[in-house]
This record gives sequence, C-alpha cells and structure tokens, in this order.
Amino acid sequence: MNLSVPSRAPLPLRRKIRRPHRPATALLALLALTAVIPRAAAQSDPVLPPPSTLKKLSVEQLLDVVVTSVSKRPERLLDAASAIQVITADDVRRAGATSIPEALRLASNLQVAQIDSRQWAITSRGFNNLFADKLLVLIDGRSVYTPLYAGVYWDVQDTLLEDLDRIEVISGPGATQWGANAVNGVINITTKSAKDTQGSLLLGGGGSELRASGGARYGGRLAPGVYYRVYGKYSDRGDSVRPNDRPSNDAWRTGQGGFRVDWDTAAGNTMTVQSDVYDATMGQPGPDKIRANGGNLIGRWSRQVGESSDFKLQVYYDRTHRRIPGSFTQNLDTYDVDFQYHLPVGSAQDIVWGLGYRRVEDDITNTLANAFLPPRVGREWLNAFAQDEIALSKDRLHLTLGTKIEHNDYTGTDLEPSARIAWTPDRSQTIWTAVSRAVRTPSRIDRDLYSPATPPYRIAGGPHVVSEKLVAYELGYRIQVDPQLTFSLATFYHDYDDLRGLEPLTPPLPFPVEISSGLRGYSVGAEFTADWRVNPSWRLRAGYTELRTSSEPQPGSIDRTSPRSAGHDPNRQASLRSLFNLSAKWELDTDLRYVGPLKNQSVPGYTEFDLRIGWHPTEAWELSLHGQNLLHDHHAEFNTPGSRREIERGVYGKISWRF
Amino acid sequence: MALLKPNAGAALRRGWARRWASWSVVIALFGATGAAARAEAAISAENQVKAVFLFNFTQFVKWPARTFADAQAPIVIGVLGEDPFGPYLDGVVQNEKIGERPIVVRRYRRLEDLAECQLLFISRSESARLEQICEQLRNWSVLTVGDSENFNRQGGMVRLATESGKIQLRINVTAAKTAELTLSSKLLAHAVIVAPGKN
Repeated sequence: MNLSVPSRAPLPLRRKIRRPHRPATALLALLALTAVIPRAAAQSDPVLPPPSTLKKLSVEQLLDVVVTSVSKRPERLLDAASAIQVITADDVRRAGATSIPEALRLASNLQVAQIDSRQWAITSRGFNNLFADKLLVLIDGRSVYTPLYAGVYWDVQDTLLEDLDRIEVISGPGATQWGANAVNGVINITTKSAKDTQGSLLLGGGGSELRASGGARYGGRLAPGVYYRVYGKYSDRGDSVRPNDRPSNDAWRTGQGGFRVDWDTAAGNTMTVQSDVYDATMGQPGPDKIRANGGNLIGRWSRQVGESSDFKLQVYYDRTHRRIPGSFTQNLDTYDVDFQYHLPVGSAQDIVWGLGYRRVEDDITNTLANAFLPPRVGREWLNAFAQDEIALSKDRLHLTLGTKIEHNDYTGTDLEPSARIAWTPDRSQTIWTAVSRAVRTPSRIDRDLYSPATPPYRIAGGPHVVSEKLVAYELGYRIQVDPQLTFSLATFYHDYDDLRGLEPLTPPLPFPVEISSGLRGYSVGAEFTADWRVNPSWRLRAGYTELRTSSEPQPGSIDRTSPRSAGHDPNRQASLRSLFNLSAKWELDTDLRYVGPLKNQSVPGYTEFDLRIGWHPTEAWELSLHGQNLLHDHHAEFNTPGSRREIERGVYGKISWRF
Repeated sequence: MALLKPNAGAALRRGWARRWASWSVVIALFGATGAAARAEAAISAENQVKAVFLFNFTQFVKWPARTFADAQAPIVIGVLGEDPFGPYLDGVVQNEKIGERPIVVRRYRRLEDLAECQLLFISRSESARLEQICEQLRNWSVLTVGDSENFNRQGGMVRLATESGKIQLRINVTAAKTAELTLSSKLLAHAVIVAPGKN
C-alpha cells in the first residue's frame, strides 16, 4: 500500500484582465523561467564510479551502493497524517461501479447520495447538497469543480474506468497543499500511465438501469520509451422513478473519447500529454433535453533535479458547454498552470513549494427566470504555497508546517495555514493530529445570481459575500495489527464561519433576499475503517462514519431560511464489503451499506445490497453479472418528497476482452 | 473531436478553438523543452548498478552444459522489450570471459524474437505479459531477471528491487531449481529468498 506523492493542485489570485492572450503570455514566461532550472542543476543522480570499478565490488558491496534518494520514497499509507482512503482500480472493478460517483461509494469517509439518474450529492464531513461546494475534485491533476457554484457536475466527469489507477479520498481540509475549495475534502483521481495500458481492450454490456455501455481502448508504442493510448466509450442510462412509480424522464446518454501519451526517460524525466472530449444528452422535465459537451488538454512534465529534488510543471486547458433549457446556457474556458518544487534540506527536513495560476472565462446566456449578472466574466486566481516536513525524531515524530496564500478577484488574499504532527511509535501504528484553516472562495452563484432576470428581484445577488472559513481540528490513529489486518480511525471537529445564507432585505417580508455570508456552524464526527485479508482468497472491508452537523445565523444576521438547507447529512453510515475468490476463475463480491435518514428532507434511512459474480475463463476474457441496489424495487437517497426521484434496482452484465 | 462537431461553427466564431490550437502549440513547445533536457541524459545510477548485477550473475550461476552448443559458445545476456541499459551494458561485459566463454548482449523486441540465451532481463515494458513469458521459459534453463514490482509473483526468478535507495536481490530459488540452474551461495547469502507465487 504505497501512497504516491499526490499531485497538489490548484491555485488562486486576481487582477482584471480581459485579453484572452494574456494567460498564454504568462505561461510562456513561466516556461522560460523553468527551462533554466535543469541547466542550473543537471546532475540528476548519484554519481557512480566507472563500470570497471563497480565490477570489482563484491555482491555485498554492490548491494550497499545508494542508487536513489531515500527521501523520494513514496509515503506509506499507514504513515499519512491525514484521513486518507484509497480506492484501487481493482476495488472499482470488483465493486462493479459503472461511473465515478458509484466508485466513490467505496470511500466510507464520503457522503454519497444519488439524486436521480444522473445527479449526485457528494461531500465529506457534511453540508451535502446537489450544489455541495466544499470539496476539491481532481482528475489527473485537472480541477473539475465548476466556478459557477463551486460544486461538480458529476454527469460529465468520466473516463474509461479500466484505465483508472487509483482514487485518493482525503476527508478534512487539504487547503495548504491543494488550495481553493479543499475545505471538507479532496478527491484525487488518477489514470494509469499509457505504458501500463498497452494492447487492445473491448468492453460491452447492458442491463436494466445502465441500458447499454461499450468501450474500446488501444495502447501502443510510438518510439522507445514513448507510449500512447486512445479510448472511446459510450453509455446509455435509464430513468429514475418518482415515488409514485412513474418514470421521471431523466434518461441520458453520453459519449467520451481521448488519448494519453507518456514519455519516460532514464534520467528521471517524465512527460505526459493527454486529452478528453465528451458529449452528453440528458432528459429533464419538459420536451427539451440538457446538452453538455466539452474537452480538455493537459501537459505535464516532471523531472528529477540533483540527487533528491524534483519539480513538476503542469498546464491545462478545459472547455465546458452546458445548455439547460429554461434555465441557462454556459460556456466556460479554464486555463491553468501549476508548478511545484520538492527539495530535502539536510536529513531532517523536506520542503515542497509551489506556484499556481488559473484563469476562467465564463459566458452565460441567461433566461427570464434567473440570471447571472454580469453574464460574461473573466476571473483569475493566483497562489503560492510552501510546506516543510520536519523529522523531530528520525522515523518517529514528524511535524509538517505549511501555508498557502491565495488571491482571488472577489475577496482578495486568504491565508490557509496548517500544522500536522505524526507520531509513529513503531512501524505498525501512527497517531496523528492536525489543526488547519481553509477557505471556500466565492463562486458565481454566491455573488452574481439574480432571480428573476430583471428587477424587481426576489434574489438580488450577493455583493457582500465573503469567503467561507473553516478551522479544523483532527485526531487520528492507524494500526496494522498484522499484515492481514488494518484499522483506522479519524475524528474531527470543524468550526465554520461566514457560511452562505439568504438575508431578507426588507424584513419582516421574506423577500427580496440578498445572498449573504450570515451563517456559522460546526460538524463533528468520526470515520472508522477496517481491512481484513481473512485468507489469500477472501478480503473483508468495513467502514463506519458518525457525523453531526449544525448551523445557525451569526450574531446580527436575520437569516431565517437557510439553516435547514445548508446541508442534508445522515447521522451515520456503515458498509461491509466482501471480495471472495471462489477459484482462480470465479469471483463473488458483495457490498452491504446502510445510510441513516436525512431528517431535514424526510428521507428515510435505507439499507442496500450489491452483488457481483465475475468469471475469467482465460486471461483475456472477463464476464460478469452485477446486481445493484437489490433489496428494494426503488429507494430514495435525497431530496424532499415533492421533488424526489428514487433509484431503482439495477441488473447488468458485462464482457471485457483484452488482446 | 467529432463529438464537438455540432458546436464547431459557434466555437470558431468565439475563437475558443483557435485558443485551443494556440495552447496546443504552447504544450508542444513545452515538450520540446523536455526533449532538450533529455539530450544530456545518461542512464540512471540505479540502472548502472543493475547492469553490473547482470554481469555478476554470469559468474554466480551455473547453467546445465546442454544449454551451450559447445565449450566456447558465449554466455548470452538477453534484454527483452524496452532496453533500460543502452550501450552501458555492452561496455560492462566487453572483453569479459567466464572460463572459455565470452559474454555477449542481445536485444529482443518481442517474445516472438527470443532466441537462445542464458540470462534474460525482462523489461518493465513487458510486465503485462510477464506470466506468459515465464511460463514459456520454464523448461529452457534461462535465468529470468527483472525489476517490475510483481516480477517474483508472476514467476520471475531474480528481482532487482529498489528498497530505501539501494538495490535488493529477491530470488525465487524454487523456480531457478526447476530450470536446473545452480545459484552460488555467495549470491544467495545476500539475497531475500521468496516463496513461489509471492513477492
């Protein structure tokens, strides 16, 4: 269980620039700057004597030659000083997940609720909502939360799930390294290097809810050390149902394709260029369908510098288009540059610092019902961060201090410091504690939303909205009882200020209202996991999360509408998964989960059960049969009864062929 | 790209496709910078030591006589797949002899190209087909060496693992015995012995 050094992400700062050419100029300047670095420190490896000398060494002496830097060794999951859970590619396959949100159900430190056929409410540590806005989600280093409402359009976040490498889910603030929006948690999704997806793969399947799906991937080699893959996928999903059993007209279809090229050189250089494009058509009440499409292009370069330092430079462009008939049409362009440098200082300190820049150009076509004003904006964020991991006692006690400075166009500069201590009394257990501050900077929905589109407004924007602020206190413990059995417990208290609310402008009349920062609140809870390899063919994983959230108006605020809608969270959830190899060719996997009631939405608690049978007649073929949500014809996971959609039992089969 | 077609007209008008193109140029430039950086690259210290180990193995392993055509036939070190050593390995074995036998290096791009060899380094690029390769070599008396993470588990004999910055030898002795190879105690004394099917 190695935890790869995660790609820290985003970034913020400001300045009002309208010219579309500026980001490219800024980028080129940054490139020019970094191009100097490899020359300044070109020796990337320990320098060894010539082969004639090496050949004279005994086996023992040769085994003692230091060939790589120890400090670069990936951190063990057991030692991490944060509440991290890792979902592997194999976990996703054996859970029979058909989408990224379904795969996220495997992390017991997330609250995952399916709202209808395509919409999900996902967060960690509470305040869950369709517009849940305190989570940072990255796919291969690309941030996918929308600056429109700081939440994620889960219906267009996809990849060929067979290409997934891992999903790291960190509950709790990760703002110091990860930046804007990493308030309640970070989801870091990475795909495999093209080197690890060589050959051909064909996938096909279908059933009752996932009506049809198919995918293909081909991986090959362009030149020595240069690998590529191309892929395409398609899926067609059926309606959810209303509580009265009538279908809700939210069936949807989506297609996606893309490529990735990876180039590894012997000298510690790796380069990646990757891109995806997608197009989706989604049903909604009324005859007109929602249309969403877009794409991205990412370039990433990392290089070892000197014996034990390395840097990484990433640039990307992302385009999304979404037309929601009767509501709005959005075209969003995002430009992002991220640089980070890692260097050990002496034997006891390990420093990471970085710089980031992001620009978004958001163009909204409003409707009469509501409007984002001004309709067209350009926003910029800039950030710098530094973090130092200090070994207070070698291999025993580590202190990590860091801060991020972020600048955004709405509220200026925010500071996001953190302090973490990890104590590893022996190799099999870690006790960690952390205090951190994180902010959620305003998004367009906080500042720019008006309803209706012309005065007199009922909702009159949010000119005074400031950043939401969190101070989090965490304490955790992890123990590996023996190589087969691991437990982990993370506890937390989150203290929030300036949460978003609605302030009546002419009290006692309930309307008009202005969007405000008038709420405060807290969440407290514990996340427990257990992982037991009962024997080589049977593995059990359990998760249990206890959570309480509360919010109230701050002194001086007359907000009376919002506390109830700030979040919809179950008090507890529990899961038990079993992965069982019946034989070398047969797998039987089950997943039982319980989610407590959402009291402020009158959603009853529910228990559901998934089952998968997998058969590998040969290395190349896999056939599987999946049952999802088998215990009920349909069940509710979110929303008040009037607007509720329910999730039906689903059965599907899948065939995959590698050659 | 075809997926974006319905909006291509509008997109061009707005100029975002043009911007996409300009970003492609920027990213290509960024690729070129990396290529320039690469020109100065030699092989890593890690691979230098691994190459020397390949040579060492020829001294510490005894092959059955039938694996050689005659008493002067060379000991062949094969490299299957992506070669991480380059000319460095050729330099290491140059002018070396084990008894009467010279040592030569041969490179095979694919399993199908594989010809007789005594020692085969199986590159990471072949890790997807490792099990198949080891299975095919089982009765060949070839010492299989590799550095991919699951090398032992998938049937490989000697894994050159990197642990705490140093090379570690992890040897599946059973597999070597099955192939009728005799490993010197000088080698085994410093290696981690792994059970079949384990890492």
